[in-house]
Amino acid sequence: MNSILTCFALTRFALTRSAFSALPCVQNRFPKPDFESGYAYPGLVYGVPDEILWTCIDLAALVLFMSVTAWATLRKRLRTPVLAVAVSSVAYFGFFRKGCVCSIGAIQNVSLALVDSSYAIPLSVLAVFILPLVFALLFGRVFCAGTCPFGALQELINIRNHKVPRPLASFLSLVPWIYLLLALVFAMTRSSFVICRFDPFIGIFRMGGEVPMIVAGAVLLIASIFTGRPFCRFLCPYGALLGLFSRVSVWNVKIVKQSCINCDLCRNACYVDAIRPPCDNKVKESRPAGVRRILLYLVVLPFMAFAGALAGRALSDSFAGTDKKVRLLEMVLAADAEKNSPESQSFELEAFHGRGGDVGELSTQVVAVRNKFKRYSTGAGAMAGIIVGISLTGLSVKRARKHYEINDAHCVSCGRCFAYCPQNLAAKSD
Amino acid sequence: MRNIAAVSLVFIATFAIMLTTTYFQVKPQTALKTEILETLKRLNDENASDPVLQEQIRELDLMSRKAYFVRSSRMTAGVYILLGMFAALVVSLHLLYAGSKNIPAKKLDAVDEWIVKTSARKYVTFGAVMLLATALVFAGLSSPHLVSNNPKKDREKTSSPPLEARNDEPARDDGNADPPAVAESPESKPEPETKPETKPETKPVAETPTPAAASPQAAQSAAESPAPRKAAPVTAHNGFRGNNSNGISPAKKLPLKWDLSAGANIAWKAETPRKGFNSPVINGNRVFMSGADAQARELYCFDLDSGKMLWTLAADNIQGSPATVPKTTDDTGLAASSVVANGKQVCAIFATGDLICADTAGRRLWAKNLGVPDNHYGYASSLLVFGNLLIVQYDNNKSPRVAAFDIATGVERWSRNRTGKISWSSPIIARIAGKPQLVLSGNPHITSYNPDNGEEYWRVECLNGEVGSSPCSAADVVYGASEYATLIAISGTDGSTLWKANDYLPEVSSPVATKDNVYLATSYGVVACYDAKTGELKKIHELSEEFYSSPLIAEGRIFLFSNSGKMHIFSADSEFNLIASFSTGERTFSTPALTDGKIVVRTENSLYCAAEIKN
Repeated sequence: MNSILTCFALTRFALTRSAFSALPCVQNRFPKPDFESGYAYPGLVYGVPDEILWTCIDLAALVLFMSVTAWATLRKRLRTPVLAVAVSSVAYFGFFRKGCVCSIGAIQNVSLALVDSSYAIPLSVLAVFILPLVFALLFGRVFCAGTCPFGALQELINIRNHKVPRPLASFLSLVPWIYLLLALVFAMTRSSFVICRFDPFIGIFRMGGEVPMIVAGAVLLIASIFTGRPFCRFLCPYGALLGLFSRVSVWNVKIVKQSCINCDLCRNACYVDAIRPPCDNKVKESRPAGVRRILLYLVVLPFMAFAGALAGRALSDSFAGTDKKVRLLEMVLAADAEKNSPESQSFELEAFHGRGGDVGELSTQVVAVRNKFKRYSTGAGAMAGIIVGISLTGLSVKRARKHYEINDAHCVSCGRCFAYCPQNLAAKSD
Repeated sequence: MRNIAAVSLVFIATFAIMLTTTYFQVKPQTALKTEILETLKRLNDENASDPVLQEQIRELDLMSRKAYFVRSSRMTAGVYILLGMFAALVVSLHLLYAGSKNIPAKKLDAVDEWIVKTSARKYVTFGAVMLLATALVFAGLSSPHLVSNNPKKDREKTSSPPLEARNDEPARDDGNADPPAVAESPESKPEPETKPETKPETKPVAETPTPAAASPQAAQSAAESPAPRKAAPVTAHNGFRGNNSNGISPAKKLPLKWDLSAGANIAWKAETPRKGFNSPVINGNRVFMSGADAQARELYCFDLDSGKMLWTLAADNIQGSPATVPKTTDDTGLAASSVVANGKQVCAIFATGDLICADTAGRRLWAKNLGVPDNHYGYASSLLVFGNLLIVQYDNNKSPRVAAFDIATGVERWSRNRTGKISWSSPIIARIAGKPQLVLSGNPHITSYNPDNGEEYWRVECLNGEVGSSPCSAADVVYGASEYATLIAISGTDGSTLWKANDYLPEVSSPVATKDNVYLATSYGVVACYDAKTGELKKIHELSEEFYSSPLIAEGRIFLFSNSGKMHIFSADSEFNLIASFSTGERTFSTPALTDGKIVVRTENSLYCAAEIKN
């Protein structure tokens, strides 16, 4: 119907302009009453977002929290400020900012920006990604201690310290690397930000979300009551990076200034199992045999990388199947195969045909996406193989220790051990 | 502390189970959709003058709302209580175990690091091998997705076969999706069934564009003359606002600039024999429309490539047709309703109530009079084709109804009386959860029917006044609007109202929607973009123009004519930028028809085709 009622058009024009143009936009997600009740609906008030201000506050809080942690753990050997930071971080970054000033997720933005020049990464995101790494390079994992709301939440609710057997922990510590590599693949192909999508704590901070993720978050929290930081140690991809930087940090956490008396109290207190006891290498294996093992791993390393690359390449098609373009092409082909109208299947199809989508062009794009997945999955698989190889090589190195030492890659700078060290306490009382 | 911790733990466990149960019980419930309330509302629709019934509904409505909000606030309070108790549990456990922390768990004996490392190497090796094996098994089990890496092969697989498949079934269950549309790609072969009909397409029938020259006999004789077959465009525009009348077209490579007076990018122009405000439709390489005056009502067919009139079919000698035409206003006339075509048949309806259907060669298949509609401006609802059903929205002052006819024979398949008042709106097919719904705007309801049998799915009372604007749909949501009433978003699944907005409303022009935005054009020059999910007004353009023509979306752009004949092209996104605006030379009230590379426009006096013409 195209043409009717011009005789009323001018009148309506005048009426409509006067009657409706001044009305505020009405949002009625919940239906209005069917009958007039005399209730006057309040006008909508739009809040003016001030993202720049909040970004500045976020960055300032980030730097402040990490600085306080560094000062408390490196200079004063105190845990109380770390706990204060943890409480503040859970309150501010967690519940107030809804967990979305996230260095962990920023990995994806940075990696995408590195491979896709059309993606403009916000400076704030870049800063949120880089600052914890810089602090890790200088002071160790002070970000993990209490600044990261995820770590802080686990820190605060931990009660018991049931240790995960070290051999099992050694294997589980590979998981963050594999997660990191997968996240990079999906981010660099512009398919999905999986770290954000499967963030287990966001649902808790926002008090709502998808049921599986809330359940996952609850399970992790319950687990963290009984053992130290399961997410940070066995899942967090950013923790893997921070651990790497922390290995070569300029200043590291020291349990005690004075000489260690090997009382074992600190190791017992450490809930992330980052303190290594004295060890005199009781092994009876000869030195040449040990060297041969290390050489064997180094020789096998390229094959491990190759096997990983092969697995990554084999999985690339499955990974690519999650991409929206690939899914769209699947839908288009399925709709055609069923001889149905494209519009009858889903809105995606309707939109595709509605905007004049060309199946051939979409196929070409899908091929490009698949090629990207192949390339990055192969690379990620190779990296995974190398990481496994390096891990095995590291586990073959014999090293004697005379005192308890901190493993800088695993230490999260929580300061828990300070209060347990008799030497430390004695120094303080002096 | 132990007792506090134990009590907290029991409380948390019990409370968490209760909350979870409540959550899953409440989640599927739609507020205010109780069965009894719906029944009472339906009774009220049938008998609107029962104050006791209305009072009952009012009380029940209030109770439902109270119950909803009470449930909602209880859930929120429950979560806070749960968090509080969890904090209490953590604190009490902290205090309970505070003393035991100082005692080392093991004897002060140095761990044999080498044993640990040896064991760890085994774990890592075993774990890595298992991961590798899992990855390979998973990769092996997951079927290869879609296409190979050969784009050429992909195109062969994805383009041609589906097009041929569609051509095989021009009249399937919801036939008008794009189907015959796709009739002939260069690679596809016409099937035998369609040959006799496609034959006449090869020959321009009427050399002169006079209506008299194109009698059925002339059409017949011309149809038998052989001529080289031209490749038809892929995309059809089967009715008013395209396929399904939803305002979204799959047409590609559309011209973005043309000028009728200068002849720039104008492929052809033809005179329209008789007046009509209906919009042209395209199927195959043919353009159809109708025209009428006091002397005759006619259906026209033009060649899409040349603009030559192929045939004219007069809607005459129809039983029940009035001797004198009903009175209509000049701006509506006797041929305001757009025709429909599905590749085999083409049908038209006039303000006299005459409904006529022909084959694509111009041979009359059937005709009937539906009764002269009591309509003070003139009947204006456009036809809709759904598979082999021809759907007619026949809202008028006396006996409003909606009916479906077999498009090939004219046999009435179903008919439903409609409550409410006269309207001038046109029906659409909305895809809701993959299933078709026939949606009609009227006064006061927007109503959804099963297009196969006319069964009513839902209706929402929301419009009033003279409803001329047609509904549209996207992402399982139906949108309807009318001036002085509202713009409303209705969930197609249950008929619940999602939101309403009143800022800018269309009078004659119909809205169009994507999953993100709803666009509409008013009669006083404002073109507005609303958020499809919230109803928030995102952006407007004040253009000092009058809009009766409806916006169409194609290739991510919105094409919209103003009455002065100015074409406005906007970006169909949240930016909603005005990409181009140019005068085409003639006043235009109808909605153009879009096909690949071409836009066919009916102006006040002529029909023309705009196409990108390379010099």
